[in-house]
Amino acid sequence: MKKRDIKKNSGQKKESLVESLKLPKDICMGAMKVTMTGNHEAWIENYRGILEYSENLILLQGKTCQVCFEGTCLSIDYYTNEDMKISGCIACVRFI
Amino acid sequence: MIEFLKYIRGYLRIRVSGFSPERFMNLCSNKGILLWKIVREGDVYYMNINLKGFRALRPIVRKTGTRVAILERYGLPFFLPKLLKRKVFVGGLLFAIAFWMWSSLFIWDIELSGNYRITDDMFQSFLKENDVIVGMKKGELDIETLEKEIRRSFPEITWASARLSGTKLLIDIKENDAPIIKEQEEKQAGSNLVSPYAGTVVSMIVRSGVPMVSVGDTIEAGAVLVEGRVPVYNDDATVREYIYVDADADIILEHTREFSDRLSFDYIKKEYTGREKTRVYLRFGDEQLKMPQDRPFLIYDSVIRESRPLLFEKLSIPVYMGTYTYREYMNVEYKYSREEAQEQLSEKLFTFLASLEEKGVQIIEKDVKIDTNDNFWIISGLFLVREPVGDSVAVEKIVIGEKEIDE
Repeated sequence: MKKRDIKKNSGQKKESLVESLKLPKDICMGAMKVTMTGNHEAWIENYRGILEYSENLILLQGKTCQVCFEGTCLSIDYYTNEDMKISGCIACVRFI
Repeated sequence: MIEFLKYIRGYLRIRVSGFSPERFMNLCSNKGILLWKIVREGDVYYMNINLKGFRALRPIVRKTGTRVAILERYGLPFFLPKLLKRKVFVGGLLFAIAFWMWSSLFIWDIELSGNYRITDDMFQSFLKENDVIVGMKKGELDIETLEKEIRRSFPEITWASARLSGTKLLIDIKENDAPIIKEQEEKQAGSNLVSPYAGTVVSMIVRSGVPMVSVGDTIEAGAVLVEGRVPVYNDDATVREYIYVDADADIILEHTREFSDRLSFDYIKKEYTGREKTRVYLRFGDEQLKMPQDRPFLIYDSVIRESRPLLFEKLSIPVYMGTYTYREYMNVEYKYSREEAQEQLSEKLFTFLASLEEKGVQIIEKDVKIDTNDNFWIISGLFLVREPVGDSVAVEKIVIGEKEIDE
């Protein structure tokens, strides 16, 4: 319990530091960046890898959390170390 | 652009199956191998991978326990060896490149601009004389000398510039707008004004010289009106010397002018029968290719239309296409009716009158009639006109009394 509190505390400190220095949050906090145009295309940056990939579901592992894209006809247009693009009919984006 | 680069580097379409294709993809991206167009069908994944990445794939495949199969190969690294096997094609390609480079050593077109009074034909024959022709080697052309030669041969060109643009020789010239001043001969002062006609002097204003006639005088043709030799008298009224001036005066002479012209009764008119024949020809430089053919009609004239296809113009290739149109005609004899003859003749009269008017001639009386004789309509007219006269004629110099001057 205590350890967790400390971790939480340091997380808060880090966030306020990043905020005050006006640094980009996605890089410093290790957050995922998802850009969507409508429900057909999505660009994702700052992820670790794919956990699951099927036509109806794509599950991505981020640095702090997981993201799940649900929909139909999902496919990955390209996939590199930095970013990826998902196209298809996206119905739902969930952060787990 | 990216697609093109991918094509240059080469890529493959692969099929990945096995235990954990997701892990395979993650490892690929970690190693910096680009994957795209990833599609899942059931348990197998299809994706594109670049050639370099595929070569580094073996450890990943071993680690993940997946199976990779190549479906298709794309790109230059696969296409080129196939191409090189076709020896004749490669030879032809090399030959084409060599020919292209060799042919760019020549001048294929000459373009002239800026000429107004000098016609293209004139300039072309000038270029031919100086051995500047289409198809000559670029190395043989000395632009400096050519420019100098242009200015030397055509004094009316004030500025000339020639330059090579690719295989095209562009010549820019500028002609002198102002007329060229010819150097006038040094003329010794002293000229008379002489009347070319016989008639009566109506008015006379003398600016320089000694008037020899006065208003109302009737003079012969060739009579001196104003003399350019002005005498200077001694006290005893003898001539001491003469001062020579160019006589200048406005003199109006009333005299009779005649006009006559004739028109034959019948005339020949070209009448086109409407029958035409057209022949197409091709021209390469000065060589003309056309279908051999007989005399198309008994009497005909021909119209030539020539053009250069746009492609050849852009590529500066001297290939021209054109047509000859032969039009048959007949020489038909017609007779002028009285009205037609009158019209024709009065037109001639009008041009004569207009030319008089241009010279500042005033017409006082006129008497015109149209007659016929054996074969012609004849128009004749008498005009009483008032016309400014005076032709400059050099005056004879008289040397007088040398003795007197000596004393």
